Amino acid sequence: MAARVRGTLWPELAVVAVLLVAPFVLLPLGFSYDLLQRILDWGLIGLGFDLLFGATGLLSFGQAAFYGTGGFVAAYLLVGHVIANVWLALVLGTIAAGLVGLVVGWLAVRRIGIYFTMITLAFGEMAYFLENSPLSHYTGGENGLPGVPVPSLGGMPISAGLPMYWLLAVLFFAGFVLARRILHSPFGAVLRAIKGNTTRTGMTGHSVPAYKLAVFVIAALYAGLAGGLLGVLQSYMPPDAFALDTSGQLVVQTVIGGVGTLVGPLVGATLWLWLRDNLQQVPHVGALWKLILGLIFVLLVVVLKRGIAGEIRWAFTRRRLAAAEAGVPEETGDAAVMPPTAPALPLSAPLVVARTDAPALRAIGVSKFYGGLHAVENVSFEVRTGSIHAVIGPNGAGKSTLFKMLKDEIAPTAGEVLLFGRRITGLGPTRTAQLGIGKSNQLNQLFLDLTVTENLRIAALARARGTFRADLWRAADSLPAVERQVAAAMETVGLIHRADVPVHVLPYGEKRRLEIGIALATGPNVLLLDEPLAGMSPAERVATRALVREIGRTRTLLIVEHDMDAIFELAERITVLYEGRLLADGTPDEIQGNQAVQDAYLGGLHEHEPA
Amino acid sequence: MPSAPLLLSQAFNGLALGTLLALVASGLTIILGTLGVLNFAHGALFMLGAYAMYVVTAQTGSFFLGILVGAAFMLVVGVVLERGLIRLFYGRPHEDQILVTFGAGIVIVEGVRALFGANTQSVPTPSWGQGIVQLGFLFYPTYRLELIGIVAALLFVLYLILYRTSIGLVVRAGIEDARMVGILGINVRRSFLLVFALGVVAAGVSGMLYAPIVSVEPDMGSSFLVEAFVVIVIGGLGSYPGAVVGGLIAGEIISITSAFNSAYSEVMLYAVMALLLVLRPQGLFGSEGRV
Amino acid sequence: MSTSLLEVEAINSFYGDSHILFDVSLTVGRNEVVALLGRNGAGKTTTLRTIMGVLAPRSGAIRLDGKPIGGLAPFQIARRGLQLVPEERAIFGQLTVEENLRLAALTAPNAWSLDRVYEFFPRLRERRRSGGRQLSGGEQQMLAIARALIRDAQVILLDEPFEGLAPLIVRDLVRVSRELAAQGRTILVVEQNVVAALSFADRVYVLNNGHMVWEGRPAELRADPALMKAHLGI
Repeated sequence: MAARVRGTLWPELAVVAVLLVAPFVLLPLGFSYDLLQRILDWGLIGLGFDLLFGATGLLSFGQAAFYGTGGFVAAYLLVGHVIANVWLALVLGTIAAGLVGLVVGWLAVRRIGIYFTMITLAFGEMAYFLENSPLSHYTGGENGLPGVPVPSLGGMPISAGLPMYWLLAVLFFAGFVLARRILHSPFGAVLRAIKGNTTRTGMTGHSVPAYKLAVFVIAALYAGLAGGLLGVLQSYMPPDAFALDTSGQLVVQTVIGGVGTLVGPLVGATLWLWLRDNLQQVPHVGALWKLILGLIFVLLVVVLKRGIAGEIRWAFTRRRLAAAEAGVPEETGDAAVMPPTAPALPLSAPLVVARTDAPALRAIGVSKFYGGLHAVENVSFEVRTGSIHAVIGPNGAGKSTLFKMLKDEIAPTAGEVLLFGRRITGLGPTRTAQLGIGKSNQLNQLFLDLTVTENLRIAALARARGTFRADLWRAADSLPAVERQVAAAMETVGLIHRADVPVHVLPYGEKRRLEIGIALATGPNVLLLDEPLAGMSPAERVATRALVREIGRTRTLLIVEHDMDAIFELAERITVLYEGRLLADGTPDEIQGNQAVQDAYLGGLHEHEPA
Repeated sequence: MPSAPLLLSQAFNGLALGTLLALVASGLTIILGTLGVLNFAHGALFMLGAYAMYVVTAQTGSFFLGILVGAAFMLVVGVVLERGLIRLFYGRPHEDQILVTFGAGIVIVEGVRALFGANTQSVPTPSWGQGIVQLGFLFYPTYRLELIGIVAALLFVLYLILYRTSIGLVVRAGIEDARMVGILGINVRRSFLLVFALGVVAAGVSGMLYAPIVSVEPDMGSSFLVEAFVVIVIGGLGSYPGAVVGGLIAGEIISITSAFNSAYSEVMLYAVMALLLVLRPQGLFGSEGRV
Repeated sequence: MSTSLLEVEAINSFYGDSHILFDVSLTVGRNEVVALLGRNGAGKTTTLRTIMGVLAPRSGAIRLDGKPIGGLAPFQIARRGLQLVPEERAIFGQLTVEENLRLAALTAPNAWSLDRVYEFFPRLRERRRSGGRQLSGGEQQMLAIARALIRDAQVILLDEPFEGLAPLIVRDLVRVSRELAAQGRTILVVEQNVVAALSFADRVYVLNNGHMVWEGRPAELRADPALMKAHLGI
């Protein structure tokens, strides 16, 4: 398994081979050295952009801001004779781009989807106008900065042509290796999780804004280095590096080449620049090259979503995927129900030492009002350490709202929640996950494009690494404690035979168990299960009840569920909510004998005169 | 400190730019609010309107005919775009919607470039807009002054459509909850078509009206697109009043700032947007709803 | 048995790949008031949403007045005179009460006048200029039902009309429901408030975990505490 995560070295070898032969094969096909260098330069920004968009799902239309910043800072330092060392100028330009990325990212990553894209676009334009007018004294405004010197190595200047090609090829390769390491690191696993399901990533204990900001800065650093190299390779830093078209071209090249393949932007740039340079020579169609590219782009977005490099990779991986998916039944039949095995759970010891005298979870007078609607009103109860505790109530009783407040997914209007005596209200779902509250959801919140193992690993990584860690270089599966926890959770929920299957092909019942498995793999001290039996067939219900009972032997469980048979079989204590208020709290027997509870369920708490 | 006449003149320029931005942005915002699609082709459609005006005035010399024929043409473009492309993307992620409209924008811009070349074209100021008007101590080009009135009137027409007609009722309801509109017996998909076409016509007509005072060229729409984005971020996504107020604010920021230092006019616009994002992310009129 | 206006035959519905309804069948006769009962999560709302076309059944048939409506879009089903009043009420908060009603009336061939609707709900006349967002829970529910009335819907699907409402308002809505039934309208009501639902239903179905488990008269259900407890109580 370890070898799989790190992946093979084939992609690296392939990239080296292509970089080595490209000058000899492509020059006769109408590529010039200059063109090859530009392609590699685009490919380099593209590596960062693909980490941002392809891996994390953040579509930025503002990469030109960082490309231009890196380029102009490096160019100004050299042309203005501030420093003479070209390498140092490139490094400083890259750092400057990263700093700008930090500021823009800080504003942008707080917003999602359309907002994120619009904000990056707007800041890209802002950078363009800054370069163009207020800073034109430094940047040359519309003229740009001519006369950027080339770097030298061992006293030998790296001249235009083949030497400059090798410089860019080496830097691209280094960037590619780093990007691939990032992608396969624990950090990269979290990025992919954010793309797959942002909410769940945060709920398992990863700080989503921190990871988004980090990858945003990484993309800005790549863009900054590429920008610096642009000035170096053409001895001139052009102002259109900052232009909106630059950001747009990057997006188009990435989609045409293949999103999420790292080399996609390089492939797309090859096509774009080659078409531009060569179609322009052809009479009649010369002016149409961009129109043709635009049509290809639209076609790719509409039908062939993988892009060129994506299709090639798909051709290689299709068979392996098909093999993994074979044997997964289409529908949930009783045959698919695997009773969980019952060894003692080797899950990691709770990270917060439980004081046995304190209740695991305690709600004190919590309320949640939405305008005039009192969803939950002044509810207090305790969940004893080590018990299985159920919350029930008719529709609209406020169970879901209460559950969300227990994990601090929503803030109570009044009152507080204590975990082992510690106030957790106000901390948010990510921090409460880190403190040991796990939660499975009523509707599955899975990472559908990842395998079962990867899904569980996302969860297990959270408490092992804390809310944020930039461990870019190690392999995602190189933490033994995390792998043990993944294996244990997988065994508990009975999904070992599906370890390498992408989750979207699993039948519903198995997805449901994985939903619980993810919560379990965070290593929670207190596990909240929101309708674990929802949508299950009778046979699956039996198996899942056994699973819940098993999990309850080692940790504190709190369940919301409508299946009364299951509740009365599993729960040691039951809290009943009715219209947002606490109606009863007691043992199953006490609850079953409680007239008010019976009336609440049958709607008889209010008198209605008969007809 | 700039002189009072200069400030006043810039305030007028801001009004002219602001009303126009409001018109462009209102098309963008009702499409976004109702369909949930951020239309990256909006700038290209603005440009297409200007070219439609160029073609008709070059052939007939009639500005009025240009508006009429141009609006009809934009309506057709809107219908074809929605039917042929946009509706395939209602169920897809925002990123895909952005990519496809962005691609459509490239195709439109490059198509125009292929047909008309990259050179700038000019559209003559209509006969009734020639000359300069004296407003107290301020001289102001007649057409620009009239433009403020015309665009304000168009914004009012759009207001009437949105707030006084059945179509507007459906649009406003659709912005809130398109599914429930369908449950109440209304073919939401068809109203999506109407909304998209209306937004496209708004963009196109803006381009037509703007054509006489700028040089018409294939890339003229892109800066308008970004400014329209800023307008709807300021006003609140999906809000028509937000687009109008946001447009006026944006126009005045750009114009007044340039009275002090023209180098900072655009920069100031984005700085204000950044400030707003920190202090009031939902915009002036937005609610924490969809998007 | 009277001709059934609405027939649901062995439908299976899913949310994504989660199987919610298993071969659910029911009929509602013309002028009949039928209550669909069951615990939380039993599949009651899913049944109504499937009938309205919001959710397409993966198998099974739905007929309105003998004609199949399964697979049609909600707006087409609404135009055939069937109207869902959803659980969340889905009032347009930015529109006034009157605009909400006018919107609903747009595509109805025999739309009522506003006055006729206001006779049913005088409170809505007082609030007609208020935005939907300013309405109380009870007023929102009145407006939600009124939108079905102004369309002159023949079959009304009421999803939890009494949820979260004060007893006085529930009593008022029960009265309106009875009036509607008396006027010959057909109602399928989903309700957790069993007592309220039984007080005006002609016939009752009980769903449990996505399966239809019982059908009968309200009196039969009331007389059978064991049945009530098994499927509705705890």
